[in-house]
Amino acid sequence: MNEFIEQFLIECRELVEQGTDDLLLLEERPGDRERLDSAFRAFHTLKGAAGIVEFAAMESALHVAEDVLSTLRSGGPLITAAQVGDCLACLDQVLQWLDATEAAGEPPTDAQPAADAIIARFGQGAAPSTPAAETRLVEVLENGDLDAIARDLLREQAELLRQPELSPGHIASTLNVAGAVLRRLGRVDEATRLEGSGLSEAQPSRDAIESLIDGSLQLTAEGPAPAREAAEPAARSLRVALERIDALVNLTGELAVAKNALGHAATLARQGEAQALAPLLKEQHAELERLVAELQRSVLSIRVLPLRTVFQRFPRLVREMMVQLGKPVRLLTEGDGVEADKAIVENLFEPILHILRNALDHGVEPAEVRAAAGKPPSATISLRALRQGERVLIEIEDDGVGIDVAKVREVAVARGVASAEAVDAMDDTAVTDLIFSPGFSTASQVTAVSGRGVGMDAVRTAVERLGGRVAIDSRAGVGTTVRLMLPFTVIMTQVMTVEVGQQVFGIPMEALVETVRIPRERIAAVGTASAFVYRGRTVPLIDLSSALGQAACARGEEINIVIAQAGSELGGLEVDRLGERMDVMLKPMEGLLAGTPAVAGATFLGDGRVLIVLDLHQLLH
Amino acid sequence: MAYQVLMVDDSKLARMGLAKALAGLRPDWVRLEATNADEALALVRQSHVDIALLDFNMPGKDGLTLAAELRELKPTMPVAVISANVQHEIVTQARELGAEFLAKPLTAAALSEFVERAERRLKEGAE
Repeated sequence: MNEFIEQFLIECRELVEQGTDDLLLLEERPGDRERLDSAFRAFHTLKGAAGIVEFAAMESALHVAEDVLSTLRSGGPLITAAQVGDCLACLDQVLQWLDATEAAGEPPTDAQPAADAIIARFGQGAAPSTPAAETRLVEVLENGDLDAIARDLLREQAELLRQPELSPGHIASTLNVAGAVLRRLGRVDEATRLEGSGLSEAQPSRDAIESLIDGSLQLTAEGPAPAREAAEPAARSLRVALERIDALVNLTGELAVAKNALGHAATLARQGEAQALAPLLKEQHAELERLVAELQRSVLSIRVLPLRTVFQRFPRLVREMMVQLGKPVRLLTEGDGVEADKAIVENLFEPILHILRNALDHGVEPAEVRAAAGKPPSATISLRALRQGERVLIEIEDDGVGIDVAKVREVAVARGVASAEAVDAMDDTAVTDLIFSPGFSTASQVTAVSGRGVGMDAVRTAVERLGGRVAIDSRAGVGTTVRLMLPFTVIMTQVMTVEVGQQVFGIPMEALVETVRIPRERIAAVGTASAFVYRGRTVPLIDLSSALGQAACARGEEINIVIAQAGSELGGLEVDRLGERMDVMLKPMEGLLAGTPAVAGATFLGDGRVLIVLDLHQLLH
Repeated sequence: MAYQVLMVDDSKLARMGLAKALAGLRPDWVRLEATNADEALALVRQSHVDIALLDFNMPGKDGLTLAAELRELKPTMPVAVISANVQHEIVTQARELGAEFLAKPLTAAALSEFVERAERRLKEGAE
């Protein structure tokens, strides 16, 4: 990628962010001159940037938006919600173009139809409405696992194309949305074909989208993993603050000094001055330890991103959901400057979006219900981030109706999530936690906003994959708070080492519940597997040596068991010996070992042995 | 003769584009960059600047205001205000300040003409 395109991408992303912030604020305070000027300048500079890299389609779309803002700026009427929507749609399109440019290394050459759709949108003023889904399509979609958002979006586009007398602009913009959804799923060829299909004919395009929805269902029925992987944004570059680089440069200098001191120690050793050597080596070891720790910290801090990069996308999305549902909502964001590892920040978008959608759909009451309950008609959803030591806490709090615990009990039993006896024995907190179970969804009707099928279990899985935990706290009539506890970095993992056979394994501390010793006779055979009773619960016993194809270990009268937890699953791991706690830098398995089941990664131990860190999710599920 | 040119634009991309175009026309000229009006004024006070190219749309002081302030510091310096909005009042105001107006995106031809006129003016001034 040449330096102009690189700079173009950096600047445009910042400008889109600025423009979006300005527009959302303008919607609340249409009379804010300063924001209007700032929004205008963002669009204007974006247009200029497009001109410099000769991206004519982007330039033409931005020109129309800039014209609108320019008129408003020179004493026109106040900006309307529709105009804010049009300008935001334009920025959305620009973001898609930026992604395409980043992927290809140059601006796309087939962008003009999408630009024309934006231009047409400004011409018509109003955005097209979204009619309710038709029963037949719902039936087709009902059993699928396809990402709920993608499915809803595709469905809506098919519905839009069903409307009579569509203008070419409407058709183009509809196809464009469907294309974008497919691209995000990594299905670029289908997206290109769809976007290129008859711009003047609604019928073939609609058929094409419907067949794709069917196709997507088949694809995801085989396994949702490929689609999810493709959906993860592939950011190739990072902007790093100069002081962070400077810190590394300083460390390099200090390491060089430490190296020289070792040279001096080597000389002493050669001269046989052992007495002087020991304290010197000890001192240097301590110094190197400090420097290496600092180096690790500095390198890891380069990989951090502020949560702003994901938080900034929500105001616009919440606004859209609010319009769709007809419930007035304010989204308050706090702590968007809090930083976390890039990999964490980039994978938080979907879980948070899902929680927000649930809050809007199920938590927030309609305005009249709120008024009757003596609440302000407009609901408030707070999205907060806090740094707590080595952890990052993200809270999503709504002031809605709260979770109906009685209904959760009822549904959990009805859907077979837990038995009636088990549910009866649970306290309210445990019952509330059931909403994270696979197969649970209290939505009694399908809505376009929170979709169907993909419940909060997807949130829990995604967060746990990042090494985090999810908790929920709800008070009837007052609201619900969902908390995501995430590690600051994904790379340092705290593990407990265990020995099985001759091999050392690491068990991530976040999965560790307790270690117990129990007599062998308490292990009961269940078919070909074995299980034991732990705190009144029957827990499967996993023989690590056979699960991982190792030689069987010596069998004593009592056995050491590590109780581990992944999601709602408990399991016991039989081990020979318990080791120590340590922080390790986990490297994903590469080469021949890549894809080894139940292994999260590996690292070296001080004595040169390899420590294999287990993936409890795979081992227990 | 090799002159020192000051380029003022808050967009690094725009400065990169301008620098590339200028390097193509006058490779021996020294190019200075500023990201806003205050930086530009500081540079003009500190170092020698022969020619200034200013973006119109910048946060803080805009290009016209900057042109007026530069005019007070250096009454004869060739100055161009560059903008993508070819609006009558901007063009007129630039002319009134004795600055040239150049439309964005800047073409090599338009920049070349400005550079030649600027050179002539500087030569005449020196004689």
